[in-house]
Amino acid sequence: MSGSAQPAPRRGARSHQTRTSSRLRSWLRHHRAMCFDSARRLLRHPLGSLLTMLAIAIALVLPAALWLVLDSARLLDAELDESATLTAYLEAGVDEAQAMRINEALGAHPEVNATRLITAAEGMAEFQESLGLADALGRLEDNPLPASVVVSPRETRPEAVRALAGDLEGVSGVDEVRLDLAWIERLAQLAELGRRVALALAILFGLGVLLIVGNTIRLAVESRRQEIQVVTLIGATHAFVRRPFLYSGAWYGLGGGLLAWALLSLGGQWLAAPVTALAESYGAHFSLPRLDAAGSATLLFSSTLLGLLGAWIAVSRHLAEMRPE
Amino acid sequence: MIAFEHVGKRYGGRFEALANIDFQVERGEMLFLTGHSGAGKSSLLRLIMRLERPSRGRVLVAGHDINRLHHSQVPFYRRQIGVVFQDHQLLFDRSIYHNVALPLEIQGVEPREAARRVRAALDKVGLLHREKALPIELSGGEQQRVGIARAVVNKPSLLLADEPTGNLDPQLSADIMTLFEDFNRIGTTVMIASHDLALIARLRHRVLQLREGRLVADQEAA
Repeated sequence: MSGSAQPAPRRGARSHQTRTSSRLRSWLRHHRAMCFDSARRLLRHPLGSLLTMLAIAIALVLPAALWLVLDSARLLDAELDESATLTAYLEAGVDEAQAMRINEALGAHPEVNATRLITAAEGMAEFQESLGLADALGRLEDNPLPASVVVSPRETRPEAVRALAGDLEGVSGVDEVRLDLAWIERLAQLAELGRRVALALAILFGLGVLLIVGNTIRLAVESRRQEIQVVTLIGATHAFVRRPFLYSGAWYGLGGGLLAWALLSLGGQWLAAPVTALAESYGAHFSLPRLDAAGSATLLFSSTLLGLLGAWIAVSRHLAEMRPE
Repeated sequence: MIAFEHVGKRYGGRFEALANIDFQVERGEMLFLTGHSGAGKSSLLRLIMRLERPSRGRVLVAGHDINRLHHSQVPFYRRQIGVVFQDHQLLFDRSIYHNVALPLEIQGVEPREAARRVRAALDKVGLLHREKALPIELSGGEQQRVGIARAVVNKPSLLLADEPTGNLDPQLSADIMTLFEDFNRIGTTVMIASHDLALIARLRHRVLQLREGRLVADQEAA
C-alpha cells in the first residue's frame, strides 16, 4: 500500500507482523463491541430477556438439584461402606485361648483391615443389653452363644466381600461367616439408578435449554434479517454475522445459570430447617447439600456453554439457508 | 476486469434468465447495462456478486473464475466490489455515519482510519453535515447517496449499481451519474444497470443491451 520504491526485506517482515497484530486487534475489538452490544440489546427488553433466562433457570434447577442430592448420597454411601463388616462365628467347642489365636489368624489375611473378638461371654452381655432380656437369659445354665470375630474388610465392594467370606470360612475353628450384603447391594443399585435418572434428566433438560435459546435467537435473527443480508452482501464472513448472536446466547445462558443458582440457594434455605429437624428425629445428622464453589462454577459454565451452542445452531441454520443455489 | 464466457442461468430448471452471454469489460471502463425489467440485468449483476452461480459458462472477475471460489472465500471476494442497490439497503437502526462505516467495520479497519475514510466518502457525496442523522430522516436521493458512499468507502476496484436512479427525478439522477463518472475518472471500473435510456444516451458510455436474457447489442462509447 505504502509507495516506498525499494522496500527493504526487513521492513517487509515487520509490516507483515504489524498486519497480523492489527488483524488480531480488530478481531478483539469486534468481540468486545459485540459482547457489549448484545448485552445492551438484552437490556433493551428487560422483561422478555428475564423470562427467557427464567425458562432456562427452571430447566436447569431440576437436574442440578438431583445432582446435589446424589452427591450427598455418595457421602452417605462412603460412611455406610465403613460399616460393611463380616461376622465369623467360631465353632461351639472353641475356648478363649483358641478364639484369640483364630482372631489373630483372621487378622493376618491380606484382605482384612481389622478384627474384633467377641467372646461368648461378651456376646451374651451385649445380647442381654440390647434385648433387655437379662432375666430370661440369666436363667439359662449354659451360654448358647458362640464366640465371634467381627472383621472389617479392606475392600468393601460386594464381590470382594463375598470372596473374602469364602476365604475366612476355610480357616479352621470358624463355623460360619455371615455377611449382610443385600442392603449394601440395594443401596448401590439405588444410587446407580439415581445417577442414570439424573443423567437422563440432565440430557433432556440440557436439550430443553438448547431449544429455548435456539428459539429466542432464531427470532432475533429473523428480526435482523435485513441487516444480515446487507452485511453478507458487502463481505461479512459467517463468523462476523454469527458473533453478536453467540454473545446473546451466552448472555442468556449465563443469566439463566445465575437465576438457577439463586433458585437452588433459596430452595435449599427453605427446606433446610424441616430436613434437619426430620433427620434429628431419627437421631441422624444430615443437612441439605449446598452448591460449593466448584459446583457453582460448573453450573454457570455449562449453562453459558448451552446458551452459546443453542445460538450457534440457530444462526448456522439461517446462514445455511442463505447460501446461493 | 470482467469476462462472461457463454454464461447461461436457469432458475428451477425451466426459466432461462440468461442465455449464452459473452462480453468483456476492461479495467477502468464505465458501462451501462440496459433492457426492460425482466431482461436479465439483475441476474447478471447477481452473478458478478456471486449471489448466484451460472448454470453454464464461466464468469471471470480480475482473472479468477468466481464459480471456483470456496464459500469461505466469497466474503473476501465481495469486499473488492462496491454495490449500490436500487432500494439502498441501508440499516435503519443506525446513523448515516455507521451505515457508511459498515464495510470498514466488517474488514476490521482501525476506528480512527475508518472515521477518516467515512468522512471522506460522505464529503464526496455531499452529506458530511448529515452524518449523525438516521436514514429515515433523509430524502430518497440523499439515501441513495449514502448507499453510494457506503459502496465506495473501501475504495473498491469494481463498482456495481442496480438501477441507482430508479426512483429519482431527472436532476437528481444526473447528479448521481456525475458521481459515478467521478469515481470512474480515478480508475474504478463502473457498471450500472439502468433502463433510463434518455440519461444513458446523454452520457455516451458503452452500453450492453439485454433482451429476454440475451445480449442483443454492445454499443461502444461514442
